[in-house]
Amino acid sequence: MEMEKDARPSWDNPMQFVLACVSYAVGLGNVWRFPYLCQMHGGGGFMIPYLLMLILEGIPLFYMELAIGQKMRLGSIGAWSAINPYLGGVGIASVVTSLYLCLYYNVINAWSFWYLFHSFQSVLPWAECPVNSNQTGYIEECEVATPTQYFFYRETLNISPSIDDNGGIHMGQALCLVLAWMIVYLFIVRGVKSTGKVVYFTATFPYVVLIIYLIRGVTLHGAMNGVKYMFTPKLEQLADPRTWINAATQIFFSLGLGFGSLIAFASYNHHNNNFERQAIVVSLINSGTSIFASIVTFSIYGFKATFNYESCLERMRLLLLNTFDMAEDTITLDNVDYWITELNRTHPDQFANLAPKLDTCDLVAELDTAVEGTGLAFIVYSEAIKNMPASQLWSVLYFSMLLLLGMGSMLGNVTAIITPLCDFKVLARNFSNETLNGLVCVFCLLLGLGFTTRSGNYWFTMFNEYGATFSLLFIVLIEIITVSYVYGLKRFEKDIEDMLGHRPNWYWKIMWAVVSPVLLISLFIFYIVDYIRGGTPTYQAWDAVLGKSVVMEYPWYGQAFIALLLVSSVCCVPITALYAFCKKKQKEAKSVPHHEHTVSTVSGV
Amino acid sequence: MLSLLLLLLSLPPALALECSKDHQDGYQVRLSIKTALGDQAYDWNESELFLFKATIAFAMRKYTKNETYDVSNIVVCNETPRVSFWFIVVNPENPTLAITKTRVEEAVRVSRNRINNAFLLTDKTLEFLGIPPTLATPVTPATPPWLIVFGVVIGAVCAGIVALLISSFVRGKRANKAKEFAEEDDQAKGADKGISGETFEDRNGVYNQAFSDDDRFTQL
Repeated sequence: MEMEKDARPSWDNPMQFVLACVSYAVGLGNVWRFPYLCQMHGGGGFMIPYLLMLILEGIPLFYMELAIGQKMRLGSIGAWSAINPYLGGVGIASVVTSLYLCLYYNVINAWSFWYLFHSFQSVLPWAECPVNSNQTGYIEECEVATPTQYFFYRETLNISPSIDDNGGIHMGQALCLVLAWMIVYLFIVRGVKSTGKVVYFTATFPYVVLIIYLIRGVTLHGAMNGVKYMFTPKLEQLADPRTWINAATQIFFSLGLGFGSLIAFASYNHHNNNFERQAIVVSLINSGTSIFASIVTFSIYGFKATFNYESCLERMRLLLLNTFDMAEDTITLDNVDYWITELNRTHPDQFANLAPKLDTCDLVAELDTAVEGTGLAFIVYSEAIKNMPASQLWSVLYFSMLLLLGMGSMLGNVTAIITPLCDFKVLARNFSNETLNGLVCVFCLLLGLGFTTRSGNYWFTMFNEYGATFSLLFIVLIEIITVSYVYGLKRFEKDIEDMLGHRPNWYWKIMWAVVSPVLLISLFIFYIVDYIRGGTPTYQAWDAVLGKSVVMEYPWYGQAFIALLLVSSVCCVPITALYAFCKKKQKEAKSVPHHEHTVSTVSGV
Repeated sequence: MLSLLLLLLSLPPALALECSKDHQDGYQVRLSIKTALGDQAYDWNESELFLFKATIAFAMRKYTKNETYDVSNIVVCNETPRVSFWFIVVNPENPTLAITKTRVEEAVRVSRNRINNAFLLTDKTLEFLGIPPTLATPVTPATPPWLIVFGVVIGAVCAGIVALLISSFVRGKRANKAKEFAEEDDQAKGADKGISGETFEDRNGVYNQAFSDDDRFTQL
């Protein structure tokens, strides 16, 4: 009796699978992209397109990916090859896109580590400008910009003026990146056995921090301004097609579809696991977290906007007092505006001299400044944190949360690469699980060091905007069309009945066959049109002299690289199809002469 | 005689230095007491002005180290309700001569901290317009604190990885050994079956009576 080959590892219990999906889906995008979209597209009113897209597109596609993974019990490459040999390229495209994502995503974790470690100081380093060499004032770049911007662009990134100036590697960043990859390795070293234990923590702790921040946030001075601003719906935004497009893309990317991570996670499931309920639960948790996080973000926005507004008023008050030499208590924060008009009337000449220095302090203008992405997470939030009492504690909590959100997503990203690799018998035989995982981590680390150079942030932005957006749409579009029409909805239904015990009802079938493909095709077309109409791609470069970001065009090699990013994952599909086709032809050609040979011997007898 | 007396009497005021706004050797001072202290703000009055003059005289004494400055050598004018005024420092030996701007600036910079503390104010709330504040030397510890935290965390992670790898390796070896034992056991059991037939439990089937060793005892 032969000893059984190692059975496929599996989750210890279904809860681990659900938590892994939650940990993967709930990531940095929920914290820094959704609140921005909410603000740009009419506050509370944005919920309507968002929830609609969740029902039309998000949950059905999530369900589909889980079904494929659980049925095929293979990573994305194996699963798609099994569905249709010509479409194994979809799996390869997923792996390539996951690779790009892994390369740049862990750099964000490195920045979170950097900020986290720098929070253990009596005065947060981004709270004050550093003193210049002769101690007469602050460093000029810091004076022109703000201390938080200076800390991010100069001390964290040491950013160069443009993508052309390369500069050396920032040692601190490189160390933090090494640490980030070591932690990822620690979490995945034993495959799902170790990942399954880790996700208990990475999925739940961010919620603890979010709740603490919610309580702290709504009790901050001026927080209600922000929350009110968010929830007052501006329904006229719903007429803008961009609102709907952004809602669709946000649902799509937030759930992490198309990377192969969901297929990989589901492949370790028990055959009869009830993934239908789990798909709905995880999608709802993901959207709920986005909304929850945006309440927190808006209360922080409100606090920051009110703080800036009141600082502006204070500055104007001092300016008026100093110019007109009035006693300190004549002008208070409340009657600044009154006095401005009054003094304009009584001392017009003096006031005219003052006019260039006078800023209009507007609370709504402050609330309107919408920021997303790394700017929100590392600049706006840290600015708000430095003004809170006991700021070191809040800083540590916040960056730990960012780290866990990022690490949780990284687990999914790396699993999406490793699972298909382990499915290849050649690799699995010659390398142990641990070695293979280690090699993948080291490879990604070495390539990721490029993002820690002085121009690294510009390459990071390029990867962030082009590395995974367009290719994912293409991948998921091919996926849904394959499942619905090439593999056949009937066969898919039967597979699901095999696993769950009942067929999917009409809602799922309509979504898979009609609604989601139509939505995806329109998104796809929109992206292409937008890309072509946008002209030369541009990026934001940090100007140290002006102290703000300026728009610059990518050089020729930058644009070539963007094209490479887009094409490299997309072309896997046709190339693999062609390869499969050629192999089939070769096989057919080989088997024909053999058949003739046997016929002749038979006839010879 | 009377006219000469009158002339002599009128001279000293004319000889005293005229303090005015925008004097070439004067500095404007601005205090923001209510902003700094809020409820605990004190009122600005003659006594506070006297204290101010005394602190400037102290600063000049400290800076020059031998010249004896007195409160009368600090001339103040142009007081406003804002609590801002101009002051000029005059030479104690020759009250008509003003001390140059740069010397006053340096003296103030050296004792800035003492002056601020006398009024419970800071560089921002007690402003000498034109004298840049001396910012405190930043405290730079030998090892940046972030490296310490980083070292702790990376040490823990390394320990974790090594522990996991070693336990995997040990488990793998144990599994291999167990496999070897199981195979040997199989083989041994198989050999036994061949020689004595005294297996009471056949792996593949039931106990076959036909092979039991009754022949050992010869039949009578």
